[in-house]
Amino acid sequence: MPKWLLACLLAAALTGCSGSKSESKVFPFPYSLDDLPNGLRLVTVNTGFPNIVGLYIVVQTGSRNEVEPGKSGFAHLFEHMMFRGTEKNPPAQWEAVMQAAGAQTNAYTSDDRTVYHAVFSKEDLDSILALEADRFQNLKYTEDVFKTETRAVLGEYNKNSANPFNKLDEAISETAFTTHTYKHTTMGFLRDVENMPNQYQYSLTFFGRWYRPEHTIVCVVGDVERQAVLGMVQRHWGGWKRGSYKADIPAEPPQTEPKTTRVDWPTSTLPLVAVSFKAPAYDDEIKDSAVLDVASYQAFSDNSDLYRKLVIEEQKVDVLAPDNADHMDPYLFTVTARVKDPKDVDYVQSQVLATFETLREKPVDAAKLEEVKAHLLYEFALGLNSSASIANTLAHFVSLRRTPETINKRYALYRQITPQDVQAAARKYFVPTGRTIATLSHKP
Amino acid sequence: MTALRRFALVLLLGSAVWAQNPQTVTQPSKSPLVTLRIVFQTGSAFDPAGKEGAAALTAAMLSEGGSLAMPYEQIVRALFPLAASVRRQVDKEMTVFHGSTHADNLDKYYSLLRGMLLDPGWRDEDFRRLKTDLMNHLRVELRGNNDEELGKEALYLRIYEGHPYGHENTGTIAALEKLTLDDLKAFYRQHYTRGNVTIGLAGGYPQGFVDKVTADFSRLPEGGPAKLEPPQPKPARKLRVRIVEKNTRAVAISFGFPLAINRASDDWPALLVAQSYLGQHRSSKSHLYGRLREIRGLNYGDYAYIEYFPRGMYQFQPDPNLVRRQQIFQVWIRPVEPANAMFALRAALYELDKLIREGMRRDEFESTCRFLTKFANLLLQTQDAELGYAIDSKYYSTTEFNRYIRSSLSKLTLDEVNTAIKKHLRATDLDVILVAKDAQGLKKAILSGAPSTVTYVSPKPPEILAEDKVIGRYKLAATVDIVPVDSVFQ
Repeated sequence: MPKWLLACLLAAALTGCSGSKSESKVFPFPYSLDDLPNGLRLVTVNTGFPNIVGLYIVVQTGSRNEVEPGKSGFAHLFEHMMFRGTEKNPPAQWEAVMQAAGAQTNAYTSDDRTVYHAVFSKEDLDSILALEADRFQNLKYTEDVFKTETRAVLGEYNKNSANPFNKLDEAISETAFTTHTYKHTTMGFLRDVENMPNQYQYSLTFFGRWYRPEHTIVCVVGDVERQAVLGMVQRHWGGWKRGSYKADIPAEPPQTEPKTTRVDWPTSTLPLVAVSFKAPAYDDEIKDSAVLDVASYQAFSDNSDLYRKLVIEEQKVDVLAPDNADHMDPYLFTVTARVKDPKDVDYVQSQVLATFETLREKPVDAAKLEEVKAHLLYEFALGLNSSASIANTLAHFVSLRRTPETINKRYALYRQITPQDVQAAARKYFVPTGRTIATLSHKP
Repeated sequence: MTALRRFALVLLLGSAVWAQNPQTVTQPSKSPLVTLRIVFQTGSAFDPAGKEGAAALTAAMLSEGGSLAMPYEQIVRALFPLAASVRRQVDKEMTVFHGSTHADNLDKYYSLLRGMLLDPGWRDEDFRRLKTDLMNHLRVELRGNNDEELGKEALYLRIYEGHPYGHENTGTIAALEKLTLDDLKAFYRQHYTRGNVTIGLAGGYPQGFVDKVTADFSRLPEGGPAKLEPPQPKPARKLRVRIVEKNTRAVAISFGFPLAINRASDDWPALLVAQSYLGQHRSSKSHLYGRLREIRGLNYGDYAYIEYFPRGMYQFQPDPNLVRRQQIFQVWIRPVEPANAMFALRAALYELDKLIREGMRRDEFESTCRFLTKFANLLLQTQDAELGYAIDSKYYSTTEFNRYIRSSLSKLTLDEVNTAIKKHLRATDLDVILVAKDAQGLKKAILSGAPSTVTYVSPKPPEILAEDKVIGRYKLAATVDIVPVDSVFQ
């Protein structure tokens, strides 16, 4: 298929490599996987972009792992604690090394992972790998420091709380899930965030459970060479001790009836409508989650009939956003619309529901499906425009399957999808018993 | 500023001596991607009086409206399989349309972009949709959903009252409501001229492409940059506090004052070092971040700026093509629990005042210079960023950005930095914006002069508690007014 061949060439050309070994693979960069005896995995990618290195350290722990009641938001809090230093490298020393390297550093937490990232010049790789290895193995903080940091987390909750989309997300998760930890968002329930100062001991437990080599993947991406990187990682990370804790993430029982929830927003805003269905977990072998990705673009992106109708022609909606975010466990397929006039909320909701119904009733247009596939491919390839962005993309996928190969497998699945697949997936997942509808509107 | 530099800046940002044909900035390479940045030297500072929003809505009509040949819906559908778009950014003096595509799709992409920019469709239905979108950007996004950006933009409005920069780049709601399609066509005719455009191209475009694009944009009517001579804004007297009253959980704080310099000025690298030390954007190395967040846990972060940096809560690096003749110095204090708001404001002012009084230490100076010298590399990681910065360097008449930073910092001395700090920064006579629910309570607290206290969830070392007392008594000689959130951007 010419479009796919073109895309492979596009991807290959980005690195200047021939593409001969990876003609059918969307991730064009040569990569290597090295497993240390302690379970740590190293992914090394030479991108061909000069000088810069992106170091992304992925811990396969997110708010999904917060299994005890009252402990929501802990994975995210822990991301903050990781910047509190060790005996050898207190925060000021960590900062000094990063500053001397001109590094851009930060971290983020999601439902399924916590990622620590630094982007810098290649000559600083060894010193930064040593510094990072130290904090992953020897993090040490006092209860006072812990308590202070919990207030910075509350500050983060506060700055997020001004946005109604965040509140709507909270409401959808809390309503749609009864048992699984996806019931709370990554930030956690406010009541738990406010209680964090009293959880010092639990924070040590959390670190001991999850910050272990077998849950961690070190991605070194950029102007690097495998053997040299492996030597550094063995030297600095080889002594890290494997853990023994096994996660027991509660499975969500099947939903049995449609659900609704409503959020009152204290200040002036436009109403939001979100329609969610329970959706399958990320997979690179079974098609379903990939099919729903395609369906999200086909039926709800700016190229869709619904967008043309509601946004361009009728002008009743100014935001129409589908979301089928990759997750370790079954999650949600959500379409959110922002409605310009409160009196149109019911109409917009009915149009969104009717679109889901259409997906169930008939196969999607085959030519448009090919356009979606082309879009997905070009979108992916155009995003690989620096070592940092490649590392960022990689962190997402290796957190799900511990290897970049999952990218190639996932995009190979996209390639196989037919209009009948979309209809079958719609019939399976877009059912009233899997549905949650959430609305938000101004109510002083 | 040296005489030579001053002349160069007038030449590039002024009105009289601009070229009669499109200018180009090109960065050809073997990349399979092609990046375009089409820059017009116009923006919200050129909005006619009473038509604030004309620049923004005109640009919106080009990038999110139909062309003469194609309705918007068809453009969306044509761009979709390419995963490409024509994005826009409208600032005070610069409007840019930009996007990237694979070289093999370049003809298709460019023909769409060309139609959109050179032969706009000016359809009523696009006009209605986009006008509402822009008004909702002000009403819903800024007033409603983002207290921090609201505070930052309200600070610019306050500092630049009665000045060409005195309204948000999107315009005002009242003026947007009244704008007509004819207003936009007139704005387009006046500012989208062939002497007012710079064509930026980077990546693997074919031979002859630069000439083709230049020839196409030479079809624009004759004309160059419109005249703009923004006066230096009047500085605030004392601490001029404005409280934007809004029903919200926390208090967002921004404060600042106009600077007499910009990136083209001799003192800019010295001030860049000071700003990076005091408040490097979204970095835990920021001194303010260390004192307010790390030691005291007051909020999520605290940063300082010497150039406009919109959307800072979403991105780590600034966007290029925000060239302005005039900039402000600004401190961004992320939302604080209401009980600690006064203390946080005082703490940030105290740190700024201390920096001015004591200057940077040699080790701080040296480590910040080392950081910036390497960090500049990171700003230019993508083809798109490199092209954007190259265009900015042309406008500011500086050398290539990375070289400019390296060479300036290698020659810079601690003494020069501390002199520039004393010359350009101040902790008095500035504007403060607080976005808060209890406006009356805050007003009373500020005007009473009563010391501020802070409560912690854990014990603090004696030196911090002692410093807290000094901070709590930091003198705020202030005037205060309260405005309802619904009046901002009105």
